[in-house]
Amino acid sequence: MVFVKETTLGAGVIAATYVAIAAFYVRLAVHALRWYEATRRSPPARPRGVAASARALTATAVDIVFLRRLLLVNPALWLGEWAFHASLFMIILRHLRYFMHPVPDWVTWAQTPGWIAGFLLPLALGYIFVIRLLTGQEKFSSRANLLMLMNLLAIAITGILMSTRYRVDLAAIKLFALGVVTFNPAAPPTGVLFLCHLCLVVVLLLYIPSHIFTAPLVMMDARGRQIELHRVIHDA
Amino acid sequence: MTRKRSFGADLTARQFIEIDACTQCGECLKHCPVQVVTGNPAISPPEKIRLFREFLRTTDGLKARLGFPAAVDPRLLEDFTKAVFECTTCGACGQNCPVGIFTQRLWPTLRKEMVQRGLGPLGIQKGMPGAIERSGNPYDKPAADRFAPWFPEKVEVAERADIAYYAGCSGAYEAQPMVRGDVLVLHATGEPFTMLPPEEEVCCGFPLFITGQHEMLAGLVKRLVEGYRARGVKTLICSCPCCVNIMSRDWPALYGRELPFKIRHITQFVADALKQGKLRIPRELRETVIYHDPCYLSRGIGVIAEPREVLRSIPGLTLLEFERHGLNSRCCGSGGAARKVFHENAIAMGRLTIDEAVAKKADRLILSCPACYGKVNEAMQGYEKQIRITDIMELLALVLEEERPGAR
Repeated sequence: MVFVKETTLGAGVIAATYVAIAAFYVRLAVHALRWYEATRRSPPARPRGVAASARALTATAVDIVFLRRLLLVNPALWLGEWAFHASLFMIILRHLRYFMHPVPDWVTWAQTPGWIAGFLLPLALGYIFVIRLLTGQEKFSSRANLLMLMNLLAIAITGILMSTRYRVDLAAIKLFALGVVTFNPAAPPTGVLFLCHLCLVVVLLLYIPSHIFTAPLVMMDARGRQIELHRVIHDA
Repeated sequence: MTRKRSFGADLTARQFIEIDACTQCGECLKHCPVQVVTGNPAISPPEKIRLFREFLRTTDGLKARLGFPAAVDPRLLEDFTKAVFECTTCGACGQNCPVGIFTQRLWPTLRKEMVQRGLGPLGIQKGMPGAIERSGNPYDKPAADRFAPWFPEKVEVAERADIAYYAGCSGAYEAQPMVRGDVLVLHATGEPFTMLPPEEEVCCGFPLFITGQHEMLAGLVKRLVEGYRARGVKTLICSCPCCVNIMSRDWPALYGRELPFKIRHITQFVADALKQGKLRIPRELRETVIYHDPCYLSRGIGVIAEPREVLRSIPGLTLLEFERHGLNSRCCGSGGAARKVFHENAIAMGRLTIDEAVAKKADRLILSCPACYGKVNEAMQGYEKQIRITDIMELLALVLEEERPGAR
């Protein structure tokens, strides 16, 4: 593996990675500021009963983990979406080994399932795309969603190629990844596939949809609201 | 440096989060009644949220916070205003949202923002505050005509009672068989009930709330609540789903504290009276009926079982269900104060309800909302498919002993 330390390309890759991470946090902060300002403006929400909250939490966990609401409205799409989200979660777990030293056991255990999930993810994305086309739903979807789908597909394909046919220097990648998170960046490996993979992830970070943070909160609220619906005008 | 008014000035934190949480998946479109009759995705729920995110960015985004707010294309604002006011606010999109956004309250809040910016309300909705100021109702009808044309002569109203009945403006002026049925059934239970005089029974505030015109709301609510409190009321009964919805969900906040009485939909009260034996149905009705769940009653406050209990208590009656019923009911087209501005949409939606009721061979279409009652009746005018439309209390009054033909 050839290193490009202190070259324009290497510095550019490192800078782009930091810019993307910074942009991600700034975006998150701007959104959090909006929520905070609104919280200060709005009257406090009516408290929910302890039983309702405990029940809501349990049911919400099911709603979030199994995307239950989507299952109810579109079972065919649910299959792809659940496979996609579960695979992505496992892949992220698998990738944690690059950012942690020593690698904890639970990350080690996630390696094989994460490797399998790497193959499942592009299949799930392809399935989602086909289902959306077949149901004529794609015309309603935003271009950002389509772009994200294609971006994720490209990330998945470059990832698979690196783990099967065109092997990369994992130690060098780990040095680079650890360097980024510890603000002591090492030169990025120069393999074309890795650089493509990294650049695609950087692009994804720039426009990652905010629903990944907020949707679970809304699901929790929706579950609570569903439980409360029968108390709005009925005696509890 | 002063920031421009935020597009999210009236949004709660939860609503900000909801706007961020929309995945733009488009699942809601299959359930949106406006989509069904217009086929125009430009006015769809995800498109409204996408546009509103753009607007928010211009006043609350990073650039705006750093002192460089962007201008909003006025044409986009107009398109958005039309889209948000064309919505019937039925909430089917939220009910079927894979994330669970509470759209039945989000859309009215976005309407309010457009009103603050001078872009809404639209058409006849603009006259509502003035009409309510003058006459106490959004139809600008005289208070003297509120009860007189339909109130049954034999029914007495107590000066003070534990129970009060609120007829509501739409029922009193636009769906009189319905409110007449309400009063007859209440009378038949034998429970004394009180009512405010016609000039004091003003609008509940829902038409103003739903069109984003909130200035008069608190005043109306305080006036009504104090009126009922002075009569010693412990339970306020109403048949209009929109009134009952705002009374139970928003009146406490507008009043500033818990209400001194409970709110009940009339079907709840009647279902209880039937269970307790206070109300007996002396004759049977050999008919097949189909019941339509009003959006603000079913999705809005969860009153789903009681209307069915009331209907099933009528001997001989066969009750059919729409394909979409209960929490998933389809809007009849009259919701969200859109029916008088987007008349064609409302008629087309109403005819979908009629089509299904006729296809299922129901003898009657049973409604329990004055807005539905008015608009679905209108939708049937000049339509090749015809069905008898009856309010649930109108039907019950019909089968009660006192309401036998010739007994009036």
